[in-house]
Amino acid sequence: MSFRTKVFLSITATVVLAVWLVAAVVSALVTRSFERQDAQRTAALVVEFRREFDRRGAEVARRIEAVAASDAVQRMAVNLGGAQTDTAQYYSLAQALAMEQSLDFLELVGPDGAIISSAEWPARFGYKEDWLPQLVDWKTQGVFLKQEDLANGSALGLIAVRTLKAGDGSLYVGGGQRLDKEFLDTLPVAEGMRVQLYSSFAADAHPESLGSKLATDLVKDVQQQPRELTRADSAATITAIPFTGRDQKLLAILLVENSRAELANLKRYIQGTAAAVGVAGVLIGLMLSFWTASRVTRPIRSLASSVREVAEGRWDTRAAVASSDEVGQLARDFNRMTEQLVEQRDRMIQAERVAAWRELARRLAHELKNPLFPLQITVENLQRAREASPEQFDEVFRESTSTLLAELDNLKTIIGRFSDFAKMPAPHLESVDLNQVAREVVKLFDAQMQAPGRAPVQTELLLAEDVTTIPADPEQIRRALRNLVLNALDAMPQGGALTIRTARIIGKVSLEVSDTGQGLTPEECERLFTPYYTTKQHGTGLGLAIVQSVVSDHKGTITVQSEPGKGSTFRIELKA
Amino acid sequence: MRLRAWAWLALSSLPASAAAGATRPRYGGALAIELSTPWTSLDPADLHSAISTGVAETLVRINERGEAEPLLATAWRTNGRRWTFTLRPKVVFHDGEPLTAATAAPALLAALKKTHADVTVQAGGQTLVVTSDQVIPDLMLELAAPRAAIYRKSDANPLIGTGPFRVAAWEPGKRLSLAAFDDYWGGRPYLDSVNISFGYGRVRADVFDIPPGPNRRILPEGTETWSSAPQRLVALVGAGAPAPLMQALALAIDRAPIVNVLAQRRGEPAFALLPQWLSGYAFLFQTPPDIARAKQLVAQLRPGPLMLSYPADDPFLRSVAERIALNARDAGATVQPLGTPNGNLSLAEWPLESNDAPAELSRMAALMGLSDRAAALEASKPDSLYQAERELLDGHRVIPIIYLPDTYAIAPRVHLAVKNGRLRLPLEDLWVEP
Repeated sequence: MSFRTKVFLSITATVVLAVWLVAAVVSALVTRSFERQDAQRTAALVVEFRREFDRRGAEVARRIEAVAASDAVQRMAVNLGGAQTDTAQYYSLAQALAMEQSLDFLELVGPDGAIISSAEWPARFGYKEDWLPQLVDWKTQGVFLKQEDLANGSALGLIAVRTLKAGDGSLYVGGGQRLDKEFLDTLPVAEGMRVQLYSSFAADAHPESLGSKLATDLVKDVQQQPRELTRADSAATITAIPFTGRDQKLLAILLVENSRAELANLKRYIQGTAAAVGVAGVLIGLMLSFWTASRVTRPIRSLASSVREVAEGRWDTRAAVASSDEVGQLARDFNRMTEQLVEQRDRMIQAERVAAWRELARRLAHELKNPLFPLQITVENLQRAREASPEQFDEVFRESTSTLLAELDNLKTIIGRFSDFAKMPAPHLESVDLNQVAREVVKLFDAQMQAPGRAPVQTELLLAEDVTTIPADPEQIRRALRNLVLNALDAMPQGGALTIRTARIIGKVSLEVSDTGQGLTPEECERLFTPYYTTKQHGTGLGLAIVQSVVSDHKGTITVQSEPGKGSTFRIELKA
Repeated sequence: MRLRAWAWLALSSLPASAAAGATRPRYGGALAIELSTPWTSLDPADLHSAISTGVAETLVRINERGEAEPLLATAWRTNGRRWTFTLRPKVVFHDGEPLTAATAAPALLAALKKTHADVTVQAGGQTLVVTSDQVIPDLMLELAAPRAAIYRKSDANPLIGTGPFRVAAWEPGKRLSLAAFDDYWGGRPYLDSVNISFGYGRVRADVFDIPPGPNRRILPEGTETWSSAPQRLVALVGAGAPAPLMQALALAIDRAPIVNVLAQRRGEPAFALLPQWLSGYAFLFQTPPDIARAKQLVAQLRPGPLMLSYPADDPFLRSVAERIALNARDAGATVQPLGTPNGNLSLAEWPLESNDAPAELSRMAALMGLSDRAAALEASKPDSLYQAERELLDGHRVIPIIYLPDTYAIAPRVHLAVKNGRLRLPLEDLWVEP
């Protein structure tokens, strides 16, 4: 993940988290405020309902008093108490009185409880209202709620009853007004509020008809156990207040509903604003991340590029110092480090050159000293033979010249080797069968390995079939393998086993040459490929250096695994 | 004989004369009448009112004893199938045309043809001969009915009769003005004019009708009322309702509260199609309510809700419908009163058009769609009338509820010159104080 992506994600996460947090807190505060306001509005409406209920009740009581005090009813009471008991003439009296007093319900009921006149259901005259004679003094009862039967159903009424003396009995005047939608319409219902009066006794009363599951469940619960309940869902908050009649039977439930649409709208607005701010934050984060990244990562990327160049060997690379901050300090330190590295490298190169020349001089001196000494002895023998015994000089001369020629050949060979190492040409790549090269090289050394007087060396070829051809210089590969085999044979003067193994690995092939010789110490392993370094008495120290040079020119690698007394294994990996 | 019995029965049910006639009758003055039900036609066959306008007259009239009296015909004789009437001389129509057999025959033939297809009327001078292949025992009753009045029409005058009043102005459904006919053969009537208006409150009326039910109009002090004999049958008609359900409703309906309270005792409980005063046997159909039996029948039937239609503009029928619905509810049936037609049930009001019991029963049978049930009626045999009515009622297509009279309020200044009760209120017998 790039630094720019990290910066972008950090800024975006910070902005989004902050916005979400603010939105959540604001939403919670708004919700709490709305709920508090809903509760206050509901309480105020309920208070107003009860006030209107009481006012209407007082009005109903006053009007029933007026009806009872009217001449017509007073005369009726007198007549009923006297000899005239015909009630037919009063059939429509209740309707007229109810109209006069603006009452929705009015019944004039005789001492036996039989309806004499009914305003709300005129046809019901003669039917009994048995509950009326049960109470003697209705005035103390006050106004109460009652389910009034009507021709086409029932209605909820605010009822008052008064009694008049009619002879030995009483004339009951009972009536009132409907508690219905018209009543509810007089309440100051604020916007977003709704008031319903659910009459639980009505034939068509079904909680399901209330329009919402919340209201339905609420009404059902209140019907099961009459009590004031408040519940809310995402759409509304509803408070249910039960109303009972004289016998404590549940007659109606007042439902005060506060719509939460406004709250939902506000929440949506907050969420929308938060989303917009979040998106803006993301965009700003994106721009900031680009700006910050470009400001911060440009020197770092420059520094990284410089590091890569150093890693690639260009040690003289310098990082641009564009600021005085930590990154600038880092660039300055990097430049100082590369300067020191270059200085150290130069010193090391110089030291290594000196060491190499010393080693070369030592090796040359060592190599040349051996043939030079016989040459010197031979020349001195010739001089002595010329002076001491001239008769034998010719014979000595022949022998000495042959020796001199042999040693000169030896010198020539030594010089040729050095010359070959110096002349290492660039590889000429062809398609080379590595297995075939291995077989040829082993065959080349067969005679040497089987030579009389030499300890036997067992050769084993473990060549993988899937190792086909590779792009390589066949002569250089062959030369490198020869050097490794020769090196292995030199490591096994007491005989042993030589194993050559090829294998195919992903994108590469490997070639291993193992011996069971005396092995190498770690220090020896470390310097093994240094030119002119040898562990042998008569080696030039160029064999493995040549092998490494060949492998390196083929973009391959060479490694060695060895332990003293357990032999060594050289492993070459080349591109397939 | 039977005619006389019905007449006596009718008379016995009539209230006393509305006006005492404390002073001597006087000539002159105008009478204002206000009627709630508008008249749309002056054709005597279409007018079903207890108020007799006195514009057109019949050949004969039926007196309080049920006997035929001369009116436009002064004499008659018959052999059962042929009737010969001698017309009153020196009678002229309101337009001055003399009454002759030729001028009377068309109206008489048109009236008789409605009930007797084979009847013929021959005119000769002042003699009218009515001939029929069948014996018409109640021809005199028919000839006394308003529909058999002798009258003519012209473009200017919808009703030209020979009666004591002539039509002075006529606006159908709005008003009718009558003026005294000075050339009336029986002498000029007391009143100079009569103005009849339709609808309440337009004029201060001397006479106005009182619809059934509680008074909705305050009667001025001293106002008398005059009621006719029961003239209209209010019945519950089952339009497609099953007969057992109609039977249950008949058992559930308590007629007494309807008569006593809803009609304020101006009426009679109806258990039969014809009223007691007309048939003489209506009491035989009387049965008390049996709510228990009605419940059983309804429980067996388990009927759905029934719609009971009543005329939307008739508050009395509405109250009757509501009471019937209440009675039905007690029996377990749901009846919904409806001020529109097309209900399963309907409240019908059938006015009597004559004093002819068989004819009225036949007419009611026709209204019930059962004309064949009354086809075998023999007017001379009361048993057959009873049987026919019994058969009609046993079908449970109609439940008679109440018989209603026509009732009028009469101002104190209005007096009846003839004190006897009548089947109709004749304008020519009224006079007014100044």
